[in-house]
Amino acid sequence: MIVSHELQARDLCRGSAHHYLGYLTNHNEPITIRIDHCEARRVLGGFLNTSTHNLTSGFAHFVAIGILGSFATVVVAQTPQNDRPVPILTGNAGYFTTVDAARYELVPEVNPVLLLPLGDKWLVESRGRFYGEFERPANNQPYGGKIEKDLNYLQADYIADPHLTVTVGRFLTPFGIYNERLYPIWIRDLHQVPLIFPLESGSSDGIMLRGGFPLASWANLNYATYYSTLTTNETLDSDRAVGARAGMFFGRPRIEVGSSWKKLLMEDRNNSFGFHFAWQPPPIPLNLRAEYARSNYGSGYWIEGAYRFSQIPRWNKAMRRTEFVGRMQQFFAGEDQESEGDQYTLPHGATQQPDFGMNYYLKDGLKASASYGRWLGKHNWNVWTFGVAWRFAVPLGRVTD
Amino acid sequence: MRTRTAILLSLLTLTTVVGAASSLPKGNDLGAPTVRSQEGAEALRIEGERRFQANCGRCHAAPHKFPPRMMATIVRHMRVRATITEQDMRLVLYYMSR
Repeated sequence: MIVSHELQARDLCRGSAHHYLGYLTNHNEPITIRIDHCEARRVLGGFLNTSTHNLTSGFAHFVAIGILGSFATVVVAQTPQNDRPVPILTGNAGYFTTVDAARYELVPEVNPVLLLPLGDKWLVESRGRFYGEFERPANNQPYGGKIEKDLNYLQADYIADPHLTVTVGRFLTPFGIYNERLYPIWIRDLHQVPLIFPLESGSSDGIMLRGGFPLASWANLNYATYYSTLTTNETLDSDRAVGARAGMFFGRPRIEVGSSWKKLLMEDRNNSFGFHFAWQPPPIPLNLRAEYARSNYGSGYWIEGAYRFSQIPRWNKAMRRTEFVGRMQQFFAGEDQESEGDQYTLPHGATQQPDFGMNYYLKDGLKASASYGRWLGKHNWNVWTFGVAWRFAVPLGRVTD
Repeated sequence: MRTRTAILLSLLTLTTVVGAASSLPKGNDLGAPTVRSQEGAEALRIEGERRFQANCGRCHAAPHKFPPRMMATIVRHMRVRATITEQDMRLVLYYMSR
């Protein structure tokens, strides 16, 4: 606890007290902070300038605790009651047409996400996927196919500590950044998932510990570690495995780097490794992301850049809604790819695929997409994709008192 | 001696802070009754936007602002999903719900 107070007092002294005022309250409800650092300085007067630069003495600790504690009291007293979380049904829906090697496929899908907050520290969340893959047979018959369904996650999260959340249930495997963060169709910049996605995708059934905390004012650390048990149920399918991911985010240059590891604890005890990188150069509306993954089934990488035309003054109203995306990726088959790679829907043999696409954000949560890619493997073909994606959110309770 | 001074200073500060707080208007919104409070609120909003861009903006554009109760749920969800630090979460929530 003293360490926390040291941190807060130090940052208070640096003029960012508002970062940490809520921190002391040990209260996970959102808080209203009315006292900015200027006011803090006014209230604390010369004390900040003389004492908190070196909080090594017990005296300074004591005073800091008293002051910050009293701030916290004020803050809690002003906590708005109408910020209590409410259950939400959110998610996304989309309709995409893919032309893959001159083969048309219509893919409608709905991915509902249920968020159920319980008290101050719990969240139960679940995401399902309902989708169809309708193809036109070669003899020009009507499109046909069936509706599939998946349960991506059904998990209970317990926020045990500001730096630790414990998750139990079925969760997205924390490997790389695509599976957990970029997969929803309203978020991903290109509708086609990367070639190496099967190496990192999937869900795990078990327990996960994760969290994030500031290492310094310029860097945050985030981590996730998990144990997954073997489940052969079709809906809850998962491997017995352990794994971990750690990442560092550097705030000023807005760079994130991280690595992932997964070890199967089955007859096959392979290790998988991955690295990820993301960069948003601050003055440019550009989003650069990359991942590398390696396992016995294969290895590969993708690197993607997405640029919003918001800085172009001409037709700015339309330009700022428009995004150009480019991606390059390669996959190299591993030693086990021939025997077991099919179950992971990996390419057969070395493959590379450049993609280009455009997104137009019609309104909040609604975008239209088009992309072209060229599959370059044992055989070569074009991949076209067109479609729309929509994100929705509906409260399942009263949002006002 | 130092302990007594510390207690005295803490009590003095506590009194000052409580007095300052009691001079603020009642209510739970950002009514921003004084220029100083408005500045503070604006500073928080700007910092919240910066944290939003640093955390959430790495993956998606800013959605429109939902009612505070919805945002509280969404931000709790994203805190877990994107391993956002607690400080960042609070500032993002402040920014997205005001």
